[in-house]
Order: sequence, then structure tokens, then C-alpha cells
Amino acid sequence: MTRPVFSQAADRPQRSGVLALRRKIIDKLATGMSWLAMLIVVFVLGSILWTLLKNGLPGLTLSLFTHSMGAPGTGGGLANAIVGSLLQTGLSILLGAPAGLLTGIFLAEYGADSKLARTVRFVSDMLLSAPSILIGLFIYMVLVEPFGHFSGFSGAAALSLMAMPIIVRTTEDMLRLVPVSMREAGIALGAAKWRVILFICVRAARGGIMTGVLLAIARVAGETAPLLFTSLGNSEWSLDMRRPMASLPVAIYQYAGSAYQDWMQQAWTGALLVTVGVLIINIVVRVGIRGGRT
Amino acid sequence: MNENTMQATPSADVEVEASASAVSGRPIAIQVNNLDFYYGKTHALHNITLGFPERSVTGMIGPSGCGKSTLLRVLNRMYDLYPGQRATGEVMFSGQNILGSGLDLNALRSRVGMVFQKPTPFPMSIYDNIAFGIRLHERVSRSEMDGRVEDALRRVALWPEVKDRLQASATALSGGQQQRLCIARTIAVRPEVILLDEPTSALDPVSTARIEELLDELKTEFTIAIVTHNMQQAARCADQVAFFYLGELVEVDSTARMFTAPRESRTQDYITGRFG
Repeated sequence: MTRPVFSQAADRPQRSGVLALRRKIIDKLATGMSWLAMLIVVFVLGSILWTLLKNGLPGLTLSLFTHSMGAPGTGGGLANAIVGSLLQTGLSILLGAPAGLLTGIFLAEYGADSKLARTVRFVSDMLLSAPSILIGLFIYMVLVEPFGHFSGFSGAAALSLMAMPIIVRTTEDMLRLVPVSMREAGIALGAAKWRVILFICVRAARGGIMTGVLLAIARVAGETAPLLFTSLGNSEWSLDMRRPMASLPVAIYQYAGSAYQDWMQQAWTGALLVTVGVLIINIVVRVGIRGGRT
Repeated sequence: MNENTMQATPSADVEVEASASAVSGRPIAIQVNNLDFYYGKTHALHNITLGFPERSVTGMIGPSGCGKSTLLRVLNRMYDLYPGQRATGEVMFSGQNILGSGLDLNALRSRVGMVFQKPTPFPMSIYDNIAFGIRLHERVSRSEMDGRVEDALRRVALWPEVKDRLQASATALSGGQQQRLCIARTIAVRPEVILLDEPTSALDPVSTARIEELLDELKTEFTIAIVTHNMQQAARCADQVAFFYLGELVEVDSTARMFTAPRESRTQDYITGRFG
């Protein structure tokens, strides 16, 4: 076992052989573990998708898209929930995206390392990880209670608070990736700073910024908790955002906990719709990034 | 702060140095007098006095960190972008001290253009890369813009290579083409002075040769200041050469004298490759 400190030349091949074997074993072990972990994750995801498809597809009928929610056994659909989700998610992005984009631009281009910027960045990151139920409660206190009723607007406001920090973060990160030399080149031509930011930096980062917005949409489209105290849900057809409004996640929440066979079926199908919608957005993002790089 | 130092500058100095320009018979386009530059507390340039003769090439050489790029970035006030960087002294350009406050920096930069070490095409089409700078300072009709873009691209000899794909993305061009595009973008604004910060150090020898040829043509119309690490490039392109070392201007002279009979031993050592 004891080996001389200065090994003989003759020892060397043998010693390196032992080392090589050790390395090979560790390599195989690590590779094996990585494969195992990957398989577990893929299995879980595959299982979710498979269960959703198996239970959701049978309920995917035309009347699901043409009828509003109804009492058990009356053949109701999810039309009002689908439209409600589209409206609230759409409005939340209309509210959250401009605010998020401008805040991200401020942090990357103007605030830099100032105290204000660091504070804003910190608060935004905190918002990013805030429990969504708290955001719902907050909007309940400022937009529901004072007006005395639940509304689609307050639902959209709660969702926009979820979307904003995502857009802030991606916008700032993407703008920071734009090389300093690009900014200097714009300045050197005699362009004002705002022009350089708007027409050069944002342009250079537009792929990444769009990705952030789409990811924010995907994130808020499936949120339930912020809507429970804000738009509440509504079983009737309604496009009036001043009134309580249905949404897919809330409908799933209500139906999945019910005791009725047809409601549970629609909960599965609703879940399938949300998942496929989010999946499509993610695919669009990926294809978009690939397209943007060339 | 700048005004104070400007007033404190003895005017006799200006004349002495201005007449010391190494290119005979040319008026001075930019005259730097007693310039000191600071990065925060670091004193990067010490009492620089140097004239850039009109329509000729001034080469600036010296080891890394000697302050030559810093001087270049003073001439278009690029340092203004960064808090903590400041210059004292005087830089006279068409009768005005450009270090003074209240100067329209965007107007200054339209008259003093700059080309960087790495090609920096904007993320837009070839056409828009050129048009971007023109639109900043002038209102021109579509047909006039077409003419201006074509003219700028012709002057950098890029036109034959890109005339059929003006709407293609500029980032798809090769490095050498991108750098020529950047020069075209700069001259399209019709500046009087062009500053080049190691414009060929990221390029292959063929592209480098094309840009050097280009400089020869451009100097008939523009005053050019070029920072280079390549001694041969300075010898080939420049009419006068300034040697910087540790933030000081060691010596400035005509290119011929600089490379054959420098007055300072430090210059001699540097250009013969003994240090740097």
C-alpha cells in the first residue's frame, strides 16, 4: 500500500491505470445519475400530460366552446370561462407590459446602480416571488372592497401585478446583454440617449424582451389564487369587466372539487386547454428565439 | 471647472504648439492645449498639447494604457457618458473650446465621428444603418436618402458587395464589411473629423489593407485621428505620428521623421520593439 514519494518510471503506467479506472467509474456513475434524474422529470411531465389528455380529450366537444357554464346535468360549457381568461389575461398584459418594459429600461439604462434602482430591483424581485394569494388579497383591499363588488378589472389588475416583475426582470437582463460598444456607436453618431435606447438597444434585445412578455402571459394565464378574491368567477356569460368574471383556472378549481361527473369532466378538459395554451406560447417563444438569432 | 482652466491657459502656449504641427502648410482642425484627464482619481493624461492638422491623418501610438484612446474619447466628449471621468484644459475646434459646458454634444458628435475597434453594426438593415445617422441630423426625402446611402457605401467600396441586399440585416456581413459599413455610417453624417480607435485590430490582413486604402482617400476630405497598435499601420497611413507613454505625449512629428530619427530615446525604444 505504501508508495514511494518519487515513483519509479516503471510504476507510472500502473498508477495512471488505477487513476484512469477511478475516473471512468466516477464518470459512469455521474452520467448514470444524470440520466436517472432526467428520466424521473420526464416521467412526471409525461405522466401529467398523459393523464390530462386521457381525461380531458373525451370532454373536448364543440358545445364546450359555445355554451356557458351551467348547473350539473344541463350540458353547460366553458365558453364564458375561456373568454374571461382571454380578456383578463389580455388586459393584465396591456397593463403590466408597458409598466414592466419601462421599469426594465429604467433599471438597465438610467438607474444603473443608484439607490433608487437598487430598491426598485429589490421590490420587483420580491414581487416576483410573492405568494400569488397575497397579490389577490392586496387587490381585493384596494379594488374590490372600496367598490363593493368583485370585477374582471380587479382580476386583470391582480394578474398584471404577477406579470410585471417577470417583464421587468427579463427586460433589464436582455438590455444588459447589449454590448456597451453598441451604445457608444449610437452616441458617437450624435444620437440622444433615448434614441439609442429605443432604436438600438431595445431593438437589439427585442427577441429576449418579447420572450419575457410571452412567458409572463403563460405564467398568468394559469393563475387561480389571485383571481379568487378579485374576479371571483361567474357562471353566466359576461363580457362586462366591471362585474364578476369567469376564468378557466377558477372554473377548474370550482368544478374539480365538485361531486358531479360532468363538472369533473369539464375540469379535466379545462385543465387540458390551459396546459395546451401555455405549451403553445412556450413553443412560439422557442421558435421565435431561434428565428431571431439567425 | 473647464472654463476656469481655459482662462488660466496662457495663450502663447497655443501659438507655440499650433505652429509645431508636423504637417506643414495645413491649418489645425483640432488643437488640444494643456489637457489633463482623470478616471476618478486616476490621472490618465498629463498636460497634453497636440494639434490635428486638417485633412491629414494623425496616428497615435503607444503601449496599452498610455492614454491614446482616452485622448480620442475626449475629442468627441465620449467620456461624458461615464460619471467620474473628467477633463481639464482646452480642446479648440472651429473656434470653440469643446470642453466647455453648455455645448450641444449631439451636434459636436455629428461633426466629430468615431469608428470603434470592434465593428458595431446596429441590429437593423444595411440601409437603415446608414440612414439612422443621417435622420438624426437632417430631414431628407426618400430619394435623397437613397442617394446618400449609396454614396456612403460607394465611398467605402462596399456598394458592389451589398447593393442587391440593402434590406438584409447588417449583422450578417463579414467583420471587414461590417467595419466598412461603420465607416460609411460615420461619413454619411458628413463630419469634419473622424476618430478611429484601432479600427483594424479585429480584422484579417485583407480587410485591414482595404481600410488603410480607404483612409488614404478619406483624408482628402476629412481630418483623421487613428489610434493603432500596429507600427506599420501608423507608418503607412499617418502624416504625423504622436507617441504616448504613461499618459504623456512623448513626441509628435511627421511620420517620416518619427520612424527614422525620433528625438526621444523612449520613442526609439518603442518603435524598434524594445518595450511595449
